[in-house]
Amino acid sequence: MIRDITIGQYYAQDSSIHKLDSRTKLMGVLIYIVALFLVKNPWWYLLLFVVILALYRLAKVPYGYLLRGLKGIVILLIFTFVFRLISTPGIPVAQLWIFTITGEGITKAISLTVRIALMIIGASLLSYTSTPRELADGLEKAFGFLEKIHVPIHDMAVIVMIAFRFIPILIEETNVLMDAQASRGVEFEKCSVWKKCRNIFSLLLPLFLSAVRRSSDLAMAMEARGYSGEGETSRMYPLRYHSGDRIAYVLMFLFLAGVIVMRVVNIY
Amino acid sequence: MIDIKNLVHRYTIWESDTKKSKKTVLDDVTLDISPGQLVAILGPNGSGKSTLAKHLNVLLLPDEGTVWIDGKDTKDAKALWDIRSTVGMVFQNPDNQIVGTSVEEDVAFGPENKNLPSTLIQEKVADSLRAVGLLHKRKSSPFRLSGGQKQRVAIAGALAGTPRCIVLDEPTAMLDPAARKEVIHVIHKLNKEAGITIVLITHHTDEVVGADKIILMNQGHIIQEGTPKEVFDNFELLKKVKMDVPQVTELAWNLARQGIPIKTPVLTEEQFVTEMMRIYEDGKNREDC
Ligand SMILES: Nc1ncnc2c1ncn2[C@@H]1O[C@H](COP(=O)(O)OP(=O)(O)OP(=O)(O)O)[C@@H](O)[C@H]1O
Ligand SMILES: [Mg+2]
Repeated sequence: MIRDITIGQYYAQDSSIHKLDSRTKLMGVLIYIVALFLVKNPWWYLLLFVVILALYRLAKVPYGYLLRGLKGIVILLIFTFVFRLISTPGIPVAQLWIFTITGEGITKAISLTVRIALMIIGASLLSYTSTPRELADGLEKAFGFLEKIHVPIHDMAVIVMIAFRFIPILIEETNVLMDAQASRGVEFEKCSVWKKCRNIFSLLLPLFLSAVRRSSDLAMAMEARGYSGEGETSRMYPLRYHSGDRIAYVLMFLFLAGVIVMRVVNIY
Repeated sequence: MIDIKNLVHRYTIWESDTKKSKKTVLDDVTLDISPGQLVAILGPNGSGKSTLAKHLNVLLLPDEGTVWIDGKDTKDAKALWDIRSTVGMVFQNPDNQIVGTSVEEDVAFGPENKNLPSTLIQEKVADSLRAVGLLHKRKSSPFRLSGGQKQRVAIAGALAGTPRCIVLDEPTAMLDPAARKEVIHVIHKLNKEAGITIVLITHHTDEVVGADKIILMNQGHIIQEGTPKEVFDNFELLKKVKMDVPQVTELAWNLARQGIPIKTPVLTEEQFVTEMMRIYEDGKNREDC
């Protein structure tokens, strides 16, 4: 449950993937997702899976982390799989109660589930190899042109950063609150869905109050350290493209071109 | 360094949506802290210590009286950023003052806000982390650190702004004894080696025995000011405002009251031992003759 969430987990390593500019990696994820949507034949997913495995290896992130990202969306995956399985018209191969399973259904179910799973695995690699700060900076630069039409991209980047910073703290606090309430007889694990909702609601109020208190403290600490929300700020590690990024871009576009050609020529 | 004259601070309290009242939290506080000093502010809960600290970093402005930091009046809006880079601030809860998602990122926050060049920021971050002994943790997530380490990161964060004075508002209140020692050690080191003026707010009396000056506050007033010896000598006053005193101090004081010729105040265990040895030797000498 809440205890399993692993958003924004940076996995510190010294690898060529970690060294890439976060904008390059953002583009990489984008291309990977586009590729996932371009391929038709389910067997191609195998290739894409091998690609991501290779990238994990290159980033020196253990394969166990591959599954960690999926844990949070297991329900979604199962739901997608089952729904596709029973709702795709085609040649029936099996009958389960009132549901008909078709050959097409099986292929569709597998490919859609795999597609979502690979998307998450790809995006997780991004968050394992870039600090939230790098991501925020990358997004800020990538969408910086929106400042011109008065979208406060810089402020948003700061907000995202702080959100990332406080996610683990709030998760821990939730656990403490859950334990505190559980020790007073509130059940979180074994009870009806309705009761579960009510119990979780009883967590939200104290959590909200503490978040408000924390944010007022944090605002003061930030002000004391010269944050004003306006004016130019600099970066300890400014985003800068290196030779590695150029190579990565070339490889990425070659990869994308390959997939597109495959799709257009329609071999396999 | 810090010069405060007749400072009065009142908080507005909304008793209901329409009715408000004023609560005087600092009343006619006058104080002078010279450069390089390690000054401890001691006082029970609600005595106005945090309020006073916030005045030093212009997080609050005086209702009456004046606060000068390095000769600059805090009411002068133009001096605001100057004063904030002269005085660094460390707060009680380490979790609520660390902004970055990694240690070095957090330490860099201040210099980045000042729009310094990247290489200079990297230098300052490395120097500050070295000063608090956490350079090896620079890439870690603050979430993974111990309480004492987190508080040292917060100190490094203040230090990276190259302040000449650091105000610490109960930096050890949420720490265990070992972590408290570690943080106090770093604070003393910064004072001795880097010559940074330190204002240490605490209600642990054992943390202030090494201070140059102790300021004892109660209910918005400074009720006593002096060296640790002078302040701890007035044992009854400390007890009256419900402050704990170090165990040895209390023991020595009680012994003295029983007629044992021990010289109060005794601030440290070593001092207590030497004092006891002296009395023992004296006693033996007297028996001998
Ligand atoms: N924002 C505020 N609004 C109204 N009253 C406040 C506010 N902040 C503090 N006070 C009150 O002012 C008084 C002094 O508070 P302050 O935080 O300065 O005390 P303190 O000496 O730091 O205490 P502690 O040891 O608990 O930190 C307290 O009675 C407190 O309730
Ligand atoms: Mg306080």
